[in-house]
Amino acid sequence: MVGSLVSQPIAQREGSDAPETGFEHPEFGRLYLEHSRAVYYLTLRFLGDPQQAEDATHDVFLKAFRHLEKFRGEASWRTWLYRIAINHCRNLQQTWHRRHLVNHAGDALWETTPSAGESPLRALETKELGLRIQAALDGLPAEYRLLLLLIADERLSYTQVAALTDQTADAVRGKLHRARKAFAQLFHQSA
Amino acid sequence: MKPESKLQHHPREEERAAEEHQHTRETAAREFATPEELLRHDAALTTVPPGLAARLSESARGLPGPAPWWRRWLRSGAP
Repeated sequence: MVGSLVSQPIAQREGSDAPETGFEHPEFGRLYLEHSRAVYYLTLRFLGDPQQAEDATHDVFLKAFRHLEKFRGEASWRTWLYRIAINHCRNLQQTWHRRHLVNHAGDALWETTPSAGESPLRALETKELGLRIQAALDGLPAEYRLLLLLIADERLSYTQVAALTDQTADAVRGKLHRARKAFAQLFHQSA
Repeated sequence: MKPESKLQHHPREEERAAEEHQHTRETAAREFATPEELLRHDAALTTVPPGLAARLSESARGLPGPAPWWRRWLRSGAP
């Protein structure tokens, strides 16, 4: 058994090349440093609650730690962590019976919305921004919400987003167009 | 009712543009061409809760960690 984590700060130990996270295992420490913000943001906007997002991010990285040896390099670390995070969030939503928050409006609604998605989105540099974004995301069908959050990560290709959402890249492109329009309209309405 | 000429629109457009400019300056509004840009901006403003790393470290204490690279290499059946 190798590489258990300790709470002793890394800086206090000599000869350690682990990053400043407090983790003894350097590989996992680097993983956390590089991807924790992305995972936290995905869970935050997916779940819509900072405390739940913190708990989810904790659980995602703990699962990753337990199964680090199973990572075979077939996907990137980011997509591997996102896969864990998406499954975790979906399980949480089912457990918490939070499905009533999901807007089940059909695609037809979004097809008939004005072309607000083509106009620039004006956002105020205030703390209200996060609330407006969350309100707009909450108004979207869950599939659109996840697509936008994944596409917003510039590290992911359409192919990777397609793999994470179990569909083709062409399907992602088609749905993304509708998701953008729907989000823009909801965001404007929240002003 | 007398129709408005094109010339009469200019002052209004200028006024509107000036008002918009003033509004933009006052509220420090930013424009984003796509929702993704807006979300990226939002993500950049988002910070991971500072106590999360310590909490995770505490939770993982005592759990078997990942094997070192050489053990994984041996398990993979490498020659």
